[in-house]
Formats: sequence, structure tokens, C-alpha cells
Amino acid sequence: MTTVAVHPVPDTSLFLPDLKLKRKESVLHEMACVAQKAGAVRDAELLHETLLRRERWCPSAVGKGVAVPNARSLAVTEPRLVIARARRGLEWGASDRVAVQLVLLVLSTSEMSVDSHLERVMRAIAITRTQRNRLKLLEAEDARIVTALLREAAL
Amino acid sequence: MTEATLLELHDLDLQLAEAREAAHVGKLKKLGFEPGERLSLERLRARLLAGVERRWVQHYERALQRYGRGLVAMRERVCLGCFVTLPTSASPGVGESLTLCESCGRILYWR
Repeated sequence: MTTVAVHPVPDTSLFLPDLKLKRKESVLHEMACVAQKAGAVRDAELLHETLLRRERWCPSAVGKGVAVPNARSLAVTEPRLVIARARRGLEWGASDRVAVQLVLLVLSTSEMSVDSHLERVMRAIAITRTQRNRLKLLEAEDARIVTALLREAAL
Repeated sequence: MTEATLLELHDLDLQLAEAREAAHVGKLKKLGFEPGERLSLERLRARLLAGVERRWVQHYERALQRYGRGLVAMRERVCLGCFVTLPTSASPGVGESLTLCESCGRILYWR
């Protein structure tokens, strides 16, 4: 049996509790820079470019105020999940037209297979499928609560 | 210029590997995404290739055909493609970050 971990938010540096940015492009850049500062990314600019290109091909909004941008990239040195909240909501081009308040950025190394990467994306989406979990993520006061929720969800 | 373009090309090829496979596109749709046509990605690939020095293109395409990836990262002098430890003499020159793996022929990214 193969176990694929989502790598829950391991420290407060990978949790952005209240983004002030308004544009999707700026949010992705901010998240890429945060991942670089945390040592999970070697080149934030390359990652940003990869995320934007993927976004153009396959928009990452999955509805109900959630977006799950993701990338397999040479820029990524460690698989990570970066979570950001935008209480005011972000225009993300969702098909249900709901503004995005939760952004879960799934980062995979280029050595990982497509299947492993998509498995990690699937697990990240699964966290936000229930309204209960979405509310918990939106209302969590700090990263420890978010980490606990991810663990509770058996990820 | 070549280095940045090659890195972008590499990431684009990872994305294209996903976009060309119907099973992967099906998985994305099942997850709630709406992947678009891959034609624009193929066009971008052609544009990026045109911006890379010919010698690097040849090495990149040959390794891509053979191993599925034309470029890999180095970690502590180990090629993450074939996992052979390279001698210190294989390090890139000052201001450069790309060399070829003496063992497998993939392009190595040294950052």
C-alpha cells in the first residue's frame, strides 16, 4: 500500500490567516514567496510562473469559496501545503461565482509522479468538502488549530 | 536567458505530461476542475524551445525522450535523475547553474 501525505501545515509560516491582497496573481506570488522563506521552494519566481500557467490551463477554483492551486515544479524542494485565508473574498473565476476565502496551495517536487501529485490535490480538496471543515478552517484562530484539523481529517 | 527558459520549459513539460493523458485530465474533472485545451500549452512549448540555445535543446530533448524528463535538480552532488554522485570537477563554472550529468546525460540544475 502506498501512503501519500499531504504534509499538513507544519509551522505557522505556511499559514496566512488573513490575506490583504485582492488579485489572484498577487496571492499566488505571496504564497510562493512564503514557501520559499520556509525552505520548501528554491525559486519563487519560477513557481509563480508555473502556477499562473497552470491557472490559465486549469483554473483552480473548485467552488464554495475554495481554490486549490497546485504545481509539480523544479522550483519545489519539499512537498508542502500552504494555506491562506482571505476573509473579504477573492475573485478567482469560480464557476459558482462565489468569492474564494480559502486557498490551499499544494506543492509537489518535480520528482513526484502525476498520480502522487493528483492524490495530494484530491486529499487537499477532500478537507474542504464539508461545510463543517470549511468553517473550522475559516474560523481557526491559529495554525495549530488548522494543523489539528488536517490531522483529524486523517491526512 | 537559456537557463530561465529551460526551467520554464521543464515545468511546462511536466504540465503537458498531465494534459496529454486522458486519464489524468479525467481525474482533474472528477476533482471539480475544468481543464482547458492543451493547444495553447503546445504553442507555448514551441515558443520556449525557440528561445533556448540549440546545444541545450538537443540534450534536453534526447533526455526527455529517453527518461521522461530532460532536466533534474542536483542535491549534494547527486543527480536526482540517476542518483549517481558526481565529482566536484563536474560543478558548473562561475555564474552558471547548468551542466550535463556525466552518467545519464540529463541537464543538471545546480541551485
